[in-house]
Amino acid sequence: MEYTLNVSNLKEQFYTRRGIYKALNGVDILLRKGEILGIAGESGCGKTTLGLTIIGLLPRNAVVTDGEILLDGKDLIATLREFASKEANNPNLRHSENIMKKLNKQLINVRGSRISMVFQDPMTSLNPVLRIGYQIAETLMVHQPEVLAKRRLARSKVKDDDLREALKLLENGADEQSIKAFAETRQLEGIEEQLLNIWRRNDLGIARKEKMILSLRSERLGGFDMAVLQRVVSQGRIDGWMRIPGLNRMSKAVLIKEGNTKAVELLSSLEIPNPEEVVKMYPHELSGGMRQRIIIAIALANNPELVIMDEPTSALDVTVQAQILDLLKHLKQRFNTSFILISHDLSVLAEVCDRIGIMYAGRIVEVATVDAIFNKPLHPYTTMLISAVPTIKGGEIQGIGGAVPDMRFPPSGCMFHPRCPYVMDKCRENNPQMKYVEDEHLVACYLYEGQKGEQN
Amino acid sequence: MIIAARRLTKEFEIKANSAFGKPLRLRAVDSVDIQVGEGQIVGVVGESGSGKSTLGRTLLGLLSPSAGTVLFDIPDDVLREYDGFRRDGDAKGAASIEMEYSIFKKKGEKLKKIRSGMNMVFQDPYSSLDPRMNVMSIITEPLLAMNYMKPDKAVDRCMELLEEVGLPRDFAYRYPHELSGGQKQRVALARGMATLPKFLVLDEPTSALDVSVQAQILSLLRKIREKYHIGMVIITHNIAVISYMADQVNVMYAGKIVESGPKEDVILNPVHPYTIALISAVPGKMVKPNRIILKGDTPNLINPPQGCVFHPRCPMAFGICGWTADEIATDLKYLVNDKFAGSFNDKAVVSTGAGGSLVINNASAGDEGVLERIINEEKGNMKSLTAIEGLERHGTNIELKIKGYRVPKMYNHDGRKVSCLLYAGDDNKA
Ligand SMILES: Nc1ncnc2c1ncn2[C@@H]1O[C@H](COP(=O)(O)OP(=O)(O)OP(=O)(O)O)[C@@H](O)[C@H]1O
Ligand SMILES: Nc1ncnc2c1ncn2[C@@H]1O[C@H](COP(=O)(O)OP(=O)(O)O)[C@@H](O)[C@H]1O
Ligand code: SF4
Ligand SMILES: [Mg+2]
Ligand SMILES: [Mg+2]
Repeated sequence: MEYTLNVSNLKEQFYTRRGIYKALNGVDILLRKGEILGIAGESGCGKTTLGLTIIGLLPRNAVVTDGEILLDGKDLIATLREFASKEANNPNLRHSENIMKKLNKQLINVRGSRISMVFQDPMTSLNPVLRIGYQIAETLMVHQPEVLAKRRLARSKVKDDDLREALKLLENGADEQSIKAFAETRQLEGIEEQLLNIWRRNDLGIARKEKMILSLRSERLGGFDMAVLQRVVSQGRIDGWMRIPGLNRMSKAVLIKEGNTKAVELLSSLEIPNPEEVVKMYPHELSGGMRQRIIIAIALANNPELVIMDEPTSALDVTVQAQILDLLKHLKQRFNTSFILISHDLSVLAEVCDRIGIMYAGRIVEVATVDAIFNKPLHPYTTMLISAVPTIKGGEIQGIGGAVPDMRFPPSGCMFHPRCPYVMDKCRENNPQMKYVEDEHLVACYLYEGQKGEQN
Repeated sequence: MIIAARRLTKEFEIKANSAFGKPLRLRAVDSVDIQVGEGQIVGVVGESGSGKSTLGRTLLGLLSPSAGTVLFDIPDDVLREYDGFRRDGDAKGAASIEMEYSIFKKKGEKLKKIRSGMNMVFQDPYSSLDPRMNVMSIITEPLLAMNYMKPDKAVDRCMELLEEVGLPRDFAYRYPHELSGGQKQRVALARGMATLPKFLVLDEPTSALDVSVQAQILSLLRKIREKYHIGMVIITHNIAVISYMADQVNVMYAGKIVESGPKEDVILNPVHPYTIALISAVPGKMVKPNRIILKGDTPNLINPPQGCVFHPRCPMAFGICGWTADEIATDLKYLVNDKFAGSFNDKAVVSTGAGGSLVINNASAGDEGVLERIINEEKGNMKSLTAIEGLERHGTNIELKIKGYRVPKMYNHDGRKVSCLLYAGDDNKA
């Protein structure tokens, strides 16, 4: 089985003046291509910490003490482990800062382009003083300048005949492959994406789309811009001389402008009405739901393999939440991206996820399909979590006694044992391992010992 | 009734955009009728900004209303009499009852007495407790401030209350930062109950809590209701919480109550288009095949839509719900210049004029026939088109006539009250 993401035995601690918080205590995750995995658990169980660690954004007081994070088989955090093993007992936080710098350098081609994250605090995600279009254009320019360059060059080369031909293909129901082939044979790589994005727009009628496609040609390119774009295509990146102050601004301008054009296409694919107007607006001019769509657009802009969404709908009203969840369902069908969706609300996850992982005290204690989590929950914590939530159909609810543990002094053995109604002696002494109880159903609890083989 | 509000309205003044402009008025609560019986739990549910908290505060007299009244501890027959006076336009009769029962007509000792008979538990347990006071002072403050009891008695009462809300006695000497979210909310509840009020408003009592703790607080609230027969208004955006707790449910949208009735009716069998959409949007494992995804956002309350405030988003809206020429023009432009551009004169333009006129200029001969057909085809999706009453040609212009609109009132329908023109009955035919 090919996994997009493989996290194993991830352990992480926060060093503070009041003690060492054991935030992650051996997290295991296997995520398939195109899958949405939900992570649920109470406040403070480590959901955000997990997400931030996968994308390599750790606060300076964090130390990863063990574990692996493999993205398409490549280890992302070897540097962090190395640091921890050297300074295991009393890490020097100044060193930690250097390590983070090193990590940032290593992850520069991963973060934002191969993995991206939608953060829990919606206010921190957009820059309040920059227009929406510019913010999207900037991520596109940083991560995929060559894609933008090709798009723009293709438009300067394309002829009216080509566009009429393409339109005919689209009207006859041509698929993505044949449009791509069309662009290739005419040496117009970069035009296919624009044709398809315009054609797929739901907010426009056929007449507008025809007009837009036929007028793709009209823009001319200056000599300097042409040189910049050709250089970006041949190097696959923004290289040396374009960083020279002065030239920098000028050479980026053409890319940013193209990024704005692509931003309109992206926004329309996220069902944002009037995308041409929205790209010109500032974040405060938009409603919460619109802002969240734009944050999602930025996360998806570079077609990443993995998108982590931390509570993407928790700050929204239910009717707006329903809009966003609906959108996520569509996106899943359209992009071949894997998602990790973090939420404290199991019912939100139930709507869009393939599988759900239940997190408690820095560990995932059960993973199963949505159906199995709701109909056949195994871990006592999962069962209690589900029966604590009122539903609109009514019926009794059950609180969970006690409180989440203070993670400076985590309980011995199974960390749920102080709250567990089925606690046995060995639960106090040993920490149960994750085991397959059925295909697709993993649980870490001694109640199910010996039901099926070890995790493999 | 412990509490009955009639036509309760609260407007806020907002600074105008320009220094010379008139201040703008934002109507946060608009003509709300609501009542709470002894020991009854009444739910108010709605999305953020719909006016729930403002309603709660006005009910308690913490905000003074712009119009309408709140009657406290009024016998049911007197309330009926009062409603009768209002219906018949007997201002004197109504005023005499208000004199007796309105919380806004009381002063001095009488006001103090009423104040100790009602209380509020606020939304956010993290900011509603004074961080410099310990739990004891927090809980006893309302007792002492209202001269409800002597300080030494108040200490005993505090211990009693802590026990009541399930906290150990030694918590009396802790400070808010030493408490978890659930514990803070218990303290807030103990404070709210300190004077044994007859009426309690709980504003989002569990929204900041984990589900496990929420379950504890909700069952505690139920226990308190059983034991003391306190009438409660529970305000929340969480429909499942309302469904679990409330006897009566009020659904708020843009400052108005749009549907009101017994929980079983309103939650399990909603009739107002907004309530139907709201409840279908509740996430869950059983994804409803007929889920309704509303378009757009809640309206701006400074300049709300005319007619029914919900009409721009309403999936069931029809001709008289409040459509303006501009709203119709937006949809027509899409049809005339885009979707069906080939069917009209290339130069055809949709334009609106002063006085709400709506015209298509530069139309070719026969365009009105095409337009009529298209309007009929599309009005299932574009509700604004249902407000077009007729077409008239003047030279190269097609003039469109727009139906008059109505503002929905509260109508009785199927055991509840609902503010939607679909249920206006005979009133509709006028
Ligand atoms: N920089 C830090 N320093 C110290 N402790 C931290 C730090 N960041 C997080 N923690 C602690 O680590 C634990 C896990 O935090 P995390 O934010 O991952 O929880 P979460 O599951 O996302 O919770 P929520 O549902 O409230 O967002 C918490 O106890 C938190 O207080
Ligand atoms: N003190 C105030 N001044 C001006 N506007 C206010 C004030 N309090 C509330 N509002 C406005 O009134 C409307 C309703 O607010 P609120 O009652 O807090 O809604 P809810 O509790 O349903 O979220 C909102 O538009 C809000 O911005
Ligand atoms: S009156 Fe009823 S049908 Fe008309 S817009 Fe309002 S809610 Fe919809
Ligand atoms: Mg979090
Ligand atoms: Mg509120």
